[in-house]
Amino acid sequence: MKKGICLKAGAAALVLAVFGGALFYLDREEQETPKTSMRIGVLLYRGDDTFIGTLRGAIEEEAKEYEMETGIKVTLDIMDAKGSQMTQNSQVERLISLGCDALCVNMVDRSAASGVIDKAMAEDIPIVFFNREPVEEDMNRWDKLYYVGVDPKESAVLQGQILVDAYKENPKILDENGDGTVSYVLLEGESSHQDSLIRTEWSIQTLKDGGVPIERITGGIANWERSQASALMEQWLNEYPGEIELVIANNDDMALGAIDAMGRAGVTAGTIQFVGIDGTPAGLEAIRNGTLLGTVESDRRAYAEAIFETARQLVMGEEVTREKYSWSPQQIVKN
Amino acid sequence: MSSKEKAAWCGYALILVFLFLLSSTNLILKEKEQEIYPVSVIIDDINDEYYANFRTGMDMAAENYHVDVNFITLYADNDQEQQLELLRREVRDGARAVVLAPVNESSAVMALEELPSGCPIVLLGSSTGNSSVACSISPDMQALGKQLAGQIVLKENPQVPVCLLTEGLAYSGNRELYDGLSMVLEEHGFLIRLVQKADEDTYRRVIEETVYPESSRILLVAMDPEALHDAADIISGSSVYREHVEALYGVGSTVAILNRLDEGVIDGLITYNQFDEGYLGIERAVEAIQGTAPGRREEMEAYYIEAEDLQEGTYEKLLYPMQ
Repeated sequence: MKKGICLKAGAAALVLAVFGGALFYLDREEQETPKTSMRIGVLLYRGDDTFIGTLRGAIEEEAKEYEMETGIKVTLDIMDAKGSQMTQNSQVERLISLGCDALCVNMVDRSAASGVIDKAMAEDIPIVFFNREPVEEDMNRWDKLYYVGVDPKESAVLQGQILVDAYKENPKILDENGDGTVSYVLLEGESSHQDSLIRTEWSIQTLKDGGVPIERITGGIANWERSQASALMEQWLNEYPGEIELVIANNDDMALGAIDAMGRAGVTAGTIQFVGIDGTPAGLEAIRNGTLLGTVESDRRAYAEAIFETARQLVMGEEVTREKYSWSPQQIVKN
Repeated sequence: MSSKEKAAWCGYALILVFLFLLSSTNLILKEKEQEIYPVSVIIDDINDEYYANFRTGMDMAAENYHVDVNFITLYADNDQEQQLELLRREVRDGARAVVLAPVNESSAVMALEELPSGCPIVLLGSSTGNSSVACSISPDMQALGKQLAGQIVLKENPQVPVCLLTEGLAYSGNRELYDGLSMVLEEHGFLIRLVQKADEDTYRRVIEETVYPESSRILLVAMDPEALHDAADIISGSSVYREHVEALYGVGSTVAILNRLDEGVIDGLITYNQFDEGYLGIERAVEAIQGTAPGRREEMEAYYIEAEDLQEGTYEKLLYPMQ
């Protein structure tokens, strides 16, 4: 009887060993096969946002360059949530079901990242968030979550510096009416975006620290949009005729919207100064034309490279060379 | 409780379990598994700037027909060889069908002969004489040229010379478009000159020549969206150029081009429904995979549009489609 049990146990152990060995071998085989293609999902909060649009183009260029250099096929699935978190959630589900190896996510609502993280974690798909930073608790939930962005405080300080330099060079540039104070209006991005408040706060602080006498006339939220900024500026030009000397905008699109309104109102060019952030192609063109005093340009190639490279390293199982939070370099551009 | 009652209760319980399994699991009644079709779309450009509406239509069809679309752009502009290499790669990698916007249609059709059979091609062009081409979708480019020329004849003075700007006659559809345009314009006494882009300054030089060394006037017709976009940018950048360019007409529409039309920089343009083109491309690809493709040629209707038409409901839907 005992002998029979021993035999059965031995046979079972043998079967288990063979089965386990086969699994181990197959797994090793799979790991050793070099990857010849990868599929990365890129989710945008809104494709018609100028900055996001140019960043998307730069990510595509990075992917093509990598594909040409290595011969490894890169499929980028780019999806536009058109400002709807619900749409973005279903896009995440779709990309996961299509077998994406990694996701690069520009959240619509940064506080809703946990839902996206849950879905990706369940399928072991790493995420590189960009431009809109999820809250810290969400970012700390998994070691395969990364964030790439620009440092909003740095953007703001550089923006303030453009104005301080201009004032020091010639106070008349900003103080058009010569009353000793620079009267300004503020155009802010979405209130839910982490960068809006910081950009506003530090831009003004830098002006104060730089000794520029300033007086705020009014301000408003234009949600990063040129058209909304244009409408606000039109209203302010009616309410405060001849009073506005400076427009500080949280991004270039809003500064350009304000310039559009100034043109429509027939205000002489040069009487109001405008300053933005991002360095979009349209913003840089406005600087060349002399309508925009200056902007803070983020290095789009470096930004896109950080996003793509982080995603690629995660997909290829390589060691990620960037920190969990990676900041893209910025520089001042002025006329 | 009698044994009969006990058996009846057990029977009820079993029926309930059976019904539960029937309704909530896949064990008894198998649900039909939805097949996903991998389809590659290869365009003739380095980005999708001129394919925005096409892509909106394509995405909608992909959702409706359960298609996994791989949208591919070229590494370099108008690189025919590279496009064919990408086409071969996609077929090799298992695409069930390919939607191809060829750089050069005749070369692409010849190259299709060498592809292994079994992967149907939906061509955004006019050729149908190849067994791999399941369907071709495009407007009749010659008729489109004639239609645009007809509008120019109605509105413009034949004494002003016409300059036809293009990225190149070798690119798909441009030869037919040129034939249509030149036929009608020459018939009505217009003097035409063809300018093919050689470098970044080609179009600027043509416009600059009207200002210096001698002052003259010119009528511009851009034969592709790229040329129209560039010409509109050059003209809008200088008030002097505007005085020397009698009018600017062109082919194609993007948001940037339509803004220039609205601003009055472009006088009129001819376009077609690119949303439908994208939708049809995917729809026909799926039908070809399923072996039910009905026809081999889909001809897109062309529309001539001026600034005042932009607010009209019909054109608004055509030019700014929403998903």
